[in-house]
Amino acid sequence: MPEAGVVELHGVTKRFAGHTAVNDLSLTIPRGAIYGLLGPNGAGKSTTIRMIMSILLPDTGRIALFGGRQSGKDLSHRIGYLPEERGLYKKMRVVDLLVFLAEIKGVARGVARRSAHEWLGRLGLSDWEHKRADDLSKGMQQKVQFIATVLHRPELLILDEPFSGLDPVNAQVMKDTVVELARAGTTILFSTHIMEQAEKLCDAVCIIARGTKVVDGRLAEVKRRHGGSHVVVAVERREGGADRVLGDRRLVARADDYGGYAELELAAGADPQDVLQGLLRAGARVTRFEIAEATLHKIFIDMVGPDAAAARAEEDTAHA
Amino acid sequence: MHKIWVVIRREFLERVRTKWFVIGTVLGPVFMFGVIALPILMAERGARARAVVVVDATADGFGRRLVAILDQTETVRPALEVVPPERLEGTADSLAGEVGRETIDGFLLVTAATVNEGRGEYRGSNVTSPADMRILQTALRNAVFAERLRREGVEPSVVGRAQIPVELVTSNVRHGRVTGESGEASFLLAYVMWFLLYIAILLYGVQVMGSVVEEKTSRIVEVLVSSLRPFHLLTGKILGVGAVGLLQLGIWVGFGKFMLDRRADVAKLLGQDTETAMALSRMSFPEVPFATIATFLAYFLLGYFLYAALFASVAAMVNSESEARQAQTPVVMLLVIPTVLMIGILNDPGGSMALALSLIPFTSPIAMPVRWAAAPVPLPELAASLAILVATVLAVMWVAGRIYRVGILMYGKKPGLKELARWVRG
Repeated sequence: MPEAGVVELHGVTKRFAGHTAVNDLSLTIPRGAIYGLLGPNGAGKSTTIRMIMSILLPDTGRIALFGGRQSGKDLSHRIGYLPEERGLYKKMRVVDLLVFLAEIKGVARGVARRSAHEWLGRLGLSDWEHKRADDLSKGMQQKVQFIATVLHRPELLILDEPFSGLDPVNAQVMKDTVVELARAGTTILFSTHIMEQAEKLCDAVCIIARGTKVVDGRLAEVKRRHGGSHVVVAVERREGGADRVLGDRRLVARADDYGGYAELELAAGADPQDVLQGLLRAGARVTRFEIAEATLHKIFIDMVGPDAAAARAEEDTAHA
Repeated sequence: MHKIWVVIRREFLERVRTKWFVIGTVLGPVFMFGVIALPILMAERGARARAVVVVDATADGFGRRLVAILDQTETVRPALEVVPPERLEGTADSLAGEVGRETIDGFLLVTAATVNEGRGEYRGSNVTSPADMRILQTALRNAVFAERLRREGVEPSVVGRAQIPVELVTSNVRHGRVTGESGEASFLLAYVMWFLLYIAILLYGVQVMGSVVEEKTSRIVEVLVSSLRPFHLLTGKILGVGAVGLLQLGIWVGFGKFMLDRRADVAKLLGQDTETAMALSRMSFPEVPFATIATFLAYFLLGYFLYAALFASVAAMVNSESEARQAQTPVVMLLVIPTVLMIGILNDPGGSMALALSLIPFTSPIAMPVRWAAAPVPLPELAASLAILVATVLAVMWVAGRIYRVGILMYGKKPGLKELARWVRG
């Protein structure tokens, strides 16, 4: 019996007039993980997150938080939520705004003020503490929104597209902060459609498309299961047995030989270890042997299909 | 509960800190100062005597006697022109020219028919002034009355002794007790109540709407509803803005009372002589009893809750400030109904229209206090009105809460009635 996840979805479905936004979705977010909810735009990521926050209620299925029965609304003081549609009170001073948002999470005024000051310093916004929110640049506003999400020291952080619209420097700052919080034990759920980010950050992922789960699990597991292992191999003294091993169709489906090294696509069910053993037995001297996993990007495109790839290409153009 | 309090405090502080609040709070008393000062300045302007020509075509000296009576009034400076009846219209035409050149204010045409049938005619530039017309009419009536008695052979000195000015002093009777407040004072009080209620409910109701729209357009609302129940957010918002309203009203009423208490000094400040100032300070203004203040406050708060909830629902359905301005029209219309019908309420405060308007929850917040100020209201009617209003406020708040909960996260097309009904049920 595995440990109960911080967030568990069991067969959750949500329909809106005319279409199914989320269809029979089940997933478990382990404690302390950085969990990526991945999918193209319109896949149902935000709807899923809103249901976890009980801003929307699922039509069927069950959502459990922290292993209990209470809903996201009752537990909001333990959760930090950065919605995709995020805003600030434009006319409020930054510090007042942060204190207010912390207070409605149940943080005492004095404590909220102190930690707002601390966080503003940490993210380089000290000079802006007493400025009005609409005097801030968009990137600074996003940082303020992020601070509002973490001010009450949540155990679970839910970030919907946290890096969208950030410049590389600020994205880096945000990423470092997220990793730091995760090291300190915070469980983090974030959604994105940019696979490179997820690949770098996530311990575990769930890929959804058109409201339906495509694959989920620990990142390494997902990659292993996606199969189609690639091996990069460089061998000295190839004469003799080595070529025979590389030509064995039971082991190697296809080989791209670049002279210095070869890229092998292994046959279905073949173990890279057998290839290595075969080469060594044949008396070859192996100078390089690397099991190259498929990137999350490749898995994503393979599994979500050309529609999603087109959507993604569009997004990248928009972001460039 | 603590979270509602946090929302109330934010709404209150953020509003009180704005320039808008300072300007509104200062301009209110300036406006009230005007309301008090204007009659004084008007009185001064009214003191200028009207130049009126009496055109007498009776040939028996009636015009001369009318002029003598008009001479006794301070506000009319009469002149006499005796003409034969056939030249009456010609004279009238040339006098009309005089009015056009502003050398005279108007002219009164008296003929044999004036005394025989009681018909005179006045043409002038001041016919819209009820005060001026009342003076002319009274003078003419007295002159005709004396003339007809004289024709019946009554001694002119007897007629003179028989005619004395009569003043009618009015006192409002409430619940079997004479209150010492005059009819005019009651009317004034009713008028002030209507004005304050209408302005306050509209002003602060619209502010609640603006606040909801702001949260929606700035997209902060999703962060808020992840920490707060929408109903708590709505309640806190309405109470916070309401507290601002009470503070502002308090400042205004306090300032108004201060000005009234010092009205002699205010008059001096406006350049009036000491005598006028003294006369003004002796003038009685209505003492507003506690029950009236309590009634006013109760209806202000309930009326404000009702309309604030309606305005909030409107705001939750729309996407922008400009859309909200359009969508608010039906709500504003509801609020205007008792205003349009106010004269009817004052003419017959116990009548069936006044009763109906003071029971219907959407009009009662204004209609009932106005009625209350004008005439005694039977306690069962007051209780029924309050009960209906409270029940409606609760129902509307509940419905508004449902609309609000769904609406604040909806962007795009405005919902139709059918979809709205689904929001309320869901």
